[in-house]
Amino acid sequence: METLASIKEEGLTKIQACSDLADLQQIRVLYLGKKGIIQDFMKQMKDLPKEDRPAFGQQVNEIKGILEEAIECQKNTLEVQKMEEKMQQEKIDITLPGFRPQLGNLHPLTLVQQELEDLFIGLGYTVAEGPEVELDLYNFERANIPQGHPARDMQDTFYIDCEQLLRTHTTAIQTRQLEKHAPSLPVMVICPGKVYRRDDDDATHSHQFTQMEGLVIGERVSMSDLKGTLEFMAKKMFGDKRVIRFRPSYFQFTEPSVEVDVSCHICNGKGCSVCKETGWIEVLGAGMVHPHVLEMAGYDSRKVSGFAFGVGVERVAMLKYGIDDIRHFYTNDIRFLKTFTRFE
Amino acid sequence: MIITKNWLHQYLDLSDISAEELAQRITSAGLEVESIERMSNATNLIIGEVVSCEDHPDSDHLHICQVNIGDTVEQIVCGAPNVAAGQKVIVARVGAQLPGGEIKAGMIRGQQSNGMLCSLLELGVDPKRLREEQMEGIEILENEAPVGHEDPLAYLGLNDFVFDIALTPNRRDCMAAWSMALETAAILEKEIHLPQLHLDRPMEPTTFKVKSETTKCPFYLGKVIQSVTVKPSPKWMKDILMSVGIKSINNLVDISNYVMLETGQPLHFYDLDALPSKEITIKDQQSYTYTALDGNDYQIEPEDIVLTSEGKPIGIAGIMGGNNSKISEHTKSIFIEAATFDPVCIRNTSRRLNISSDASIRFQKGIEPLAPFKAIARALQLLTMYAEATGLEETVQCGSNHYVPVEIDISLERINRLLGTNFEDYEVFGILNRLKFSPRRNRNLIRVSIPSYRGDLCLEEDIAEEIIRFIGYDRLPSTLPTLPATVGALDKRQSLRRKLRNTLTNLGYYEAQTYTLISERLKEDALLPFHKTVQVASCMSEEHKFIRESILPSLLDCMSYNKARSIKDIALFEISNVYAQDIVEERLAIACSGYIQQSKWQKYQVEADFYTMKGLIESLLPAIGFEGTRVCIKENDQDIEHLHPYQSATVYIGKELLGIFGKLHPQLAKKYQLSDDTIVAELKLDVLLSNKPSRVTFKPISKYPSVSRDLAFIVSEDINVQDIVQSIQKQGKLQKEQVIQDIEVFDVYTGEHVEEGKKSIALSIQFQSNTRTLKDSEIQELYDRIMDALKNDINAVLRG
Repeated sequence: METLASIKEEGLTKIQACSDLADLQQIRVLYLGKKGIIQDFMKQMKDLPKEDRPAFGQQVNEIKGILEEAIECQKNTLEVQKMEEKMQQEKIDITLPGFRPQLGNLHPLTLVQQELEDLFIGLGYTVAEGPEVELDLYNFERANIPQGHPARDMQDTFYIDCEQLLRTHTTAIQTRQLEKHAPSLPVMVICPGKVYRRDDDDATHSHQFTQMEGLVIGERVSMSDLKGTLEFMAKKMFGDKRVIRFRPSYFQFTEPSVEVDVSCHICNGKGCSVCKETGWIEVLGAGMVHPHVLEMAGYDSRKVSGFAFGVGVERVAMLKYGIDDIRHFYTNDIRFLKTFTRFE
Repeated sequence: MIITKNWLHQYLDLSDISAEELAQRITSAGLEVESIERMSNATNLIIGEVVSCEDHPDSDHLHICQVNIGDTVEQIVCGAPNVAAGQKVIVARVGAQLPGGEIKAGMIRGQQSNGMLCSLLELGVDPKRLREEQMEGIEILENEAPVGHEDPLAYLGLNDFVFDIALTPNRRDCMAAWSMALETAAILEKEIHLPQLHLDRPMEPTTFKVKSETTKCPFYLGKVIQSVTVKPSPKWMKDILMSVGIKSINNLVDISNYVMLETGQPLHFYDLDALPSKEITIKDQQSYTYTALDGNDYQIEPEDIVLTSEGKPIGIAGIMGGNNSKISEHTKSIFIEAATFDPVCIRNTSRRLNISSDASIRFQKGIEPLAPFKAIARALQLLTMYAEATGLEETVQCGSNHYVPVEIDISLERINRLLGTNFEDYEVFGILNRLKFSPRRNRNLIRVSIPSYRGDLCLEEDIAEEIIRFIGYDRLPSTLPTLPATVGALDKRQSLRRKLRNTLTNLGYYEAQTYTLISERLKEDALLPFHKTVQVASCMSEEHKFIRESILPSLLDCMSYNKARSIKDIALFEISNVYAQDIVEERLAIACSGYIQQSKWQKYQVEADFYTMKGLIESLLPAIGFEGTRVCIKENDQDIEHLHPYQSATVYIGKELLGIFGKLHPQLAKKYQLSDDTIVAELKLDVLLSNKPSRVTFKPISKYPSVSRDLAFIVSEDINVQDIVQSIQKQGKLQKEQVIQDIEVFDVYTGEHVEEGKKSIALSIQFQSNTRTLKDSEIQELYDRIMDALKNDINAVLRG
């Protein structure tokens, strides 16, 4: 039996000294293969007296088991080692730039418009649109701007013929919506769209720009409701700390009419260059829908009331992002467009 | 509207309020004070008398003056050409702060000088308020000016603040200083004292006749004053006129201007003796050239209103009087005109002749109905005081002002409901009283009388606005509407737009927004045009003359802009409506060139070419519900003028043309200075909306293995891959089941080893059944069938 023990010792030494998976495989064949050393011992068994055979067999199997385990263990170690070596060889320079897929982005005006749309959709409004080539009727007449009113001036409006023009405000969408809904209640719409005025393009004027107007008609809709709604909007657009103030103003479409200032989001109302040291920024025009407008659309102005407001999308975008020239929006310099990766 | 604090102070006590606070109070009542300007900020001034004035020995223009400033005499070197002994002058003492700097004692060419004699310009008065001679020399005060007076600015009325107030169109009444004073008094809750007018003075009978032959002059008042004396105006009037930027001429002209400022009613004074006769007829439908009082010739058109006497023109109504009958220093008797003219007509004439005056602006905004009476009465009062007016004749009247006093009944309950407030009776009465609306109870309503100058008020809502603007909007509660629930959502079109925008941006495209109005140059290059372009009748420039029928040309302009700035990789899209006569269509245009995706050192890049655009469209359409046989990409038979004839295609949904895409025609690329690799597309969104998207349904995933086989063959170069694929697909049935799941082209090759005019195509076909594992023999059978079909259909030769 001494030979068996020495084979075991010799085998284990070889296995542990083995540093290569192929060599290890050869060791396995040498000891555990069909013609291997262990098998040879097994063959010797038939030459033993019958009573010794079980003990012998057990001993051989035990050694076989020990060697198998040792080989398996060494194999694992070598495999791990090999993997480590391979990975070491695979070391890369992680400071090289990654592949950055070009993510395009939305136009800043779309960003602002969508944000406004979503905030009002959340309040139950639907988004209404209308034609940019509009009838005088909806752009002026129904907006309480009768013939001869200075706001209808050729000077300010792109007329196409005596009936058609490029709409000068999204109020045209509102007048169409009123006609469409009257006399049913309530009406809750926001009306975004492009509008056109005969202005020379410069840093603060554009012959084409984007407006978003809102309209709510119902029983007992009040001016306080307008204030609450606009306060909500100001906070969503310019931050939770914003407050608003109303200043009396005048629009044909509304009575009473107000200009709406939002406390400056840059200086928090302390006064800075953006708000011209006033702490306030003029952002909106608003008011209670004029009784004439309601009547023309087919509502009884004694029973029904409503509010309307309008905001310049370019103005909001310029304030939010600090854009200094309205022409940027329509030049589409890629470097400009790439700036607006998100609404915040 | 320009008004000053001192001027308002004539009517109501403003001694206890600063200019800033006054401006703030006026602004918060809705009359926005846009600027406050102090007329002069100079300090340390005194009124002095030039005792002697001698030429400076070492200068050809300087003078050495001895100036008495009350308790002492100072030597001052002065360079003004108009300085002379005996003059009363404004002295800036040593230490005075002027816009030009601090005054210091010092030597001027060897002569001691202890101060400076000043012009108003040097005191910082805006040059637009000054006459030419005031800008060229020092200010010479009246002889009565008190020597040693330490506040010459107050003496000259220059201690004043000029307010520039932006008036909303409904408050044109505040163009009149009296209305502005009434408003200010209401805001500040102060007593107001406007000049008392004596409307019932005895008058002499008149023989002057006025008649109107036009409807554009509804009301005309005239008055003859037989005797007046022309002389300078009183100092206070000059000061006010100067502060608002009107130059003083003489008492008559100044009074006509001043009364206009006070009442809002423009007046015209004619030199009575220069009129052709004692008769005026107001006409339109005239046409001739006419010399106005500025000496220039103007062309009168039929729509203009003209004043005539004996058939001869004597003035363009509301715009400018005539040269012949204007007031001069020799004027002895005058005829005063206070009329109302059609605002639209005055606006048109004023614009056409390019004359805008204080009078024409007021006529355009409309005149309050009682203003002509007030203005005549006030003019008489001032002419009597400052021009020794005598011989006042009866007023001549033509037409009527049609004034009916307005009364409105308001319900406090309705007003509170409209505003969302709980204002009480007493508060509302208080405000209505401040506004001089004489509120009184009328059963459960409140009746108010509207003053004649508040023509903007006729509805209950108007009164609601008056109440809230005086109570203050800060007292308005903040609530949200309580209405029956509504569902807020985007409609189909709006959702589609968002989906397209999001998909395109995720694929690396940037959204652009361009102008709807385009030039002739861009108009020609419309894709899928209607040939019915709409032109604006009132365009401003050639650049913005037509409404676009197609978006693409505008995008090409943007590409060109970027390319000129050395940006080569550009991928843009825009979604917008396009218009033609009686047509509106929403479109998506895409344009790209260079690399859409790239990582240089990794040698990975997606280059803009026909297939990138095709692939983009092929990915985009399934994402919005159009796939498989519903989408058909065909040869471009629509437009080979703007697109490369051999690298462009049309895309259809069913049989409907969705759009067109491909490489830009080199000719067009050249026109826009773009590279030849510019790839474009324009699609019609309405086609996507009018066709129903396919339903998304789950198809069971086969449990059985799939087998793929590659094949390569040579075909004639003009065979389309699509024909090959279709030919293969037809052979894909095994026991009525289509077992070809996918056919992928992985190589297309021409060149070496391939015969001229032929190409080599390599495909990978994937076979899979949903019901069983396919046997090798079956796949071989399919493969043989496919090869046979390719041989027969397209003459393909299998590659070895």
